[in-house]
Amino acid sequence: MKRKILILPIILFFTLLIVFFYLLVIDRNPSELPSVLINKEVPSFQAKSLMTKKTFISEKEFNGEIILVNFFATWCAPCLQEHQYLKKLSNQRGLKIIGINYKDDPTTALAWLKKLGNPYADVIADKKGHIGIDWGVYGLPETFIIDSKGVIKYRLIGPITKKTYKAFYSKVMEIENL
Amino acid sequence: MKKNLITTFIFAIIIKFTIVNSYSVEPEEILQNPQQEIRARNISKNIRCLVCQNQSIDDSSAPLAKDLRELIRIKVQKNDSDEEIYKFLTDRYGDFILLKPPLKISTFLLWCLPFVFFVIGITIIVQQNKKSKKYIS
Repeated sequence: MKRKILILPIILFFTLLIVFFYLLVIDRNPSELPSVLINKEVPSFQAKSLMTKKTFISEKEFNGEIILVNFFATWCAPCLQEHQYLKKLSNQRGLKIIGINYKDDPTTALAWLKKLGNPYADVIADKKGHIGIDWGVYGLPETFIIDSKGVIKYRLIGPITKKTYKAFYSKVMEIENL
Repeated sequence: MKKNLITTFIFAIIIKFTIVNSYSVEPEEILQNPQQEIRARNISKNIRCLVCQNQSIDDSSAPLAKDLRELIRIKVQKNDSDEEIYKFLTDRYGDFILLKPPLKISTFLLWCLPFVFFVIGITIIVQQNKKSKKYIS
């Protein structure tokens, strides 16, 4: 009886060891947070479009087709890295991407897009970052997939890279085929 | 060796009592009304900075923390209740933004396990005590 009890902590210790080791080895980023907005309608917002100079009204725009919403800024280095993959998604795959220019200067942003090419169907200025807060954004870039009913289905934190491009695109397809 | 330990200890105490009030609220953020400012500070102390993740927005100098501090102050000036402000934030960022997790069905274990372990520990100690007493007598 006494021996059995003594062996229990040892078993417990090794199970913990295995669990911790597993969490260490798998590909995960503990600072990545799940979005509470998943399966909710897009937060409504009105802001100036950098391209048409008109007011962008979210209620009118998010319906009928799958839309990507990408928060970006010219001061954000990973956004630059991601840019080519956004172009790929819009030019090759024909996806509609709405860019939200987060806490940035409009002229710099337009010049940046002119130089690198513009993957966005529309670019909205979020000068004070309030739209970002409504979307639960905490680090750039962030990309949301919105389904044809205007419901947020997925959020990617960080850039779309060579490594994640395929997985991201199949996520879009998966949501489109639902 | 002993001397070293003593100096370290003394320094630790000095540091503890001199650098208590480290916060990142910038002068232009502070509200005119001191009562509102205190309310805003107290709320900010409970809100996690999503960028640094182990600091409150009151302590953090990250741009997002500053934005959230300003937002909280605007809401305090509008006389929103504490609950309304917390709800505004958790609706957007989830419960994770609260430094202290709320007591819910999903967090029941988190809150209760320490007490369960405490009771288990006490029982083991009492039982062992009884055994050793028996052994002695």
